[in-house]
Amino acid sequence: MIASIARKEFSEIVRDGRFKWTAGIMALLLLTALAAGYQKYSAYMDIQRMSQDQTNAQWLNQGDKNPHAGAHYGNYAFKPAGPLAFFDNGINNYAGTALFMEAHKQNFAIGRPATDQSSIGRFGDLSGAMILQLLMPLLIIFLGFTAFSGERESGTLRQVLSMGVSNRQLLWGKALGIGGVVLLIVGLCVVAGGLALSLTGPSTESESLGARVTLMALSYVLYGGIFLFLTLAVSAWARNARTALMVLIGFWAFAGFLAPKAAVEISKAIHPTPAFGKWMADMRSHQMRGFDGVPPFVRFEQESREIFAEYGAESIAELPVYVGALRLQKFEEYDFPVFEQHYGQLRDSYTNQRRLQDRIGIVAPTLPLRSLSMALAGTDLIRHVNFADAAEAYRRDMVLKVNNYLGEAAASLNTGYGGGNVLIADEAIFAMVPPFRFDSRGLQATLAEHAGNFIALMLWLAAALGLALWSVQRLKVEED
Amino acid sequence: MLQATDLRKSYGDTEALKGLDMTVEGGDIYCLLGANGAGKTTTISLFLNFIQPDGGTATVCGLDVTEQPLETKKLLAYIPEQVMLYGNLTALENLRYFSQLGGHDYSPEEYRDFLRRVGLEEEAVDRRVKTYSKGMRQKVGVAIALAKQARALLLDEPTAGLDPKASNEFSELLLKLKSDGAAILMATHDLFRAKETGTRIGIMKEGRLVDELSTGEVTHADVEKIYLQHMHAGGHYAQDGAGSA
Repeated sequence: MIASIARKEFSEIVRDGRFKWTAGIMALLLLTALAAGYQKYSAYMDIQRMSQDQTNAQWLNQGDKNPHAGAHYGNYAFKPAGPLAFFDNGINNYAGTALFMEAHKQNFAIGRPATDQSSIGRFGDLSGAMILQLLMPLLIIFLGFTAFSGERESGTLRQVLSMGVSNRQLLWGKALGIGGVVLLIVGLCVVAGGLALSLTGPSTESESLGARVTLMALSYVLYGGIFLFLTLAVSAWARNARTALMVLIGFWAFAGFLAPKAAVEISKAIHPTPAFGKWMADMRSHQMRGFDGVPPFVRFEQESREIFAEYGAESIAELPVYVGALRLQKFEEYDFPVFEQHYGQLRDSYTNQRRLQDRIGIVAPTLPLRSLSMALAGTDLIRHVNFADAAEAYRRDMVLKVNNYLGEAAASLNTGYGGGNVLIADEAIFAMVPPFRFDSRGLQATLAEHAGNFIALMLWLAAALGLALWSVQRLKVEED
Repeated sequence: MLQATDLRKSYGDTEALKGLDMTVEGGDIYCLLGANGAGKTTTISLFLNFIQPDGGTATVCGLDVTEQPLETKKLLAYIPEQVMLYGNLTALENLRYFSQLGGHDYSPEEYRDFLRRVGLEEEAVDRRVKTYSKGMRQKVGVAIALAKQARALLLDEPTAGLDPKASNEFSELLLKLKSDGAAILMATHDLFRAKETGTRIGIMKEGRLVDELSTGEVTHADVEKIYLQHMHAGGHYAQDGAGSA
């Protein structure tokens, strides 16, 4: 029975002349977006790999010099695009792509693609994700708003309900039929895109790609299901097709445009991002004052006895390492908690904004989906933070290695003996620092962070389904 | 087969049906006559459980339609004044869809046979019904009723707007269904057709059944005369209730 209803809905929609146009435009947009996303993604990844290799080579070939000066020469970390960035570019346009790693300073990632775009870029990329987030609901609404209201208007509903079919069976059948049409259009495009990518694409990062694709598909199916049942609920509830369409388009605009914008504004108001200039000045002066209010120079003097004791020395002369290098490393380490506090403050404001946005997401299914989609694509804030963390860990290791080398190699300088040549580090020494490689925290951490968004989508689906069941239960062919 | 007992229905302050008692047995074609607003369509809608009665009961083969709405609908077939079909589907697809909704399924050949029996041209069967005339749609409506193997039929002015030939063909089909033992309740304005096809005639006025006639016992002229008498009579006439047949 349900299958017959689904089959009839399916053939009816597919034979409608409007369907060919809608499906054609949707398919064209989706394929274009996937192709453009893929092109952009592979070009970006080429540049990223090339740049990372180049900067690693430059680090090794920077010429013979004082090893600490080598740390000042520094090294770049280039952020790899997420494994599914071609589909959902997430915050990549607005987050930096290159992070300069040098002695004494923790830096921001720079090179935001959005700054290279014309004002048209403000509307966002035409990505596969955007099409599925905004246009797929519209497609579902267009295909489904007449499901009940149209049959009521044309009079077929009277005859259908005179046949002795239950309202629930009608609902399930229609949901299957319309869902089938949507899957046909969207699914074919996604499969075609995926096939093309797997045939021609470069190997993406193997960050559990299969699991990511599966979860991504599941999220979008849930999202489509929410709009499908909402559409059917409104179609059964509304007195006529026009009302149904107006209500649904209103909800679509709210969920797709108003709610996300409002969520961003509200989250910024509640968890404000520190003003950059002040933030930077605060951090610099905190460095000067010292984390606990003891300036680095004073602190080093105060702690020198214990520091020397670590090396079993009573005085500078007895130190087995060069005191200058020791001081450089200590100063470096004094800054760690300062960086952690100030960068942490900045990061917390972003993280809190994002979490609040996710929580606001309960009012519109587009919000949790968007968040999930970015996370699964590996283009979200969490991954960017992981990248910055990885770069900072790499920077600390780099500086530690060169300072340690300097300390051991130049120990004779403490007593005034020894030649300047020990200060010289060459390629073999710089090779102690391995090339930068970014391994993201992986899928499990992502899932743990986004469990709430999955639950929000499930709740939405349950609510939409409940609403649809309630709505068809009170479905009437005429006013009582 | 179809039985209404003290059936009442109001819309706001308007009493559309003021205690209807009627029975349609298998093999009967019961024609409901009456002006627009007399309660004919309300009666049919109540049997279909499209609206809830305010009092009394409507039963189909002994089952109360409000208590077992799906079961009673399975026993019924309904043909409205305008049979509405899915324009983008062919006659065969429409017939198959409605049959499946009613819980029946047949082979394509059997569906074609139903459509042939109602007199739909062979070439039209696989055409999309948006090109159909009203007569052709009504035929598909009858085919749906045939395929449903319904015990009782509810017809709401099914021949209104049909040309005489189509109207005649429709009556032939009703007679076939009647001879198969179906109980048929038909609301109509066509006095001639009612006398010709019907076995019994009920005259409704302002929500009451004011008269019942057996078509075998009256002439065309009688039917028209009685009908007009009721229509012209004041409200007090209707207060006397049914029972002159």
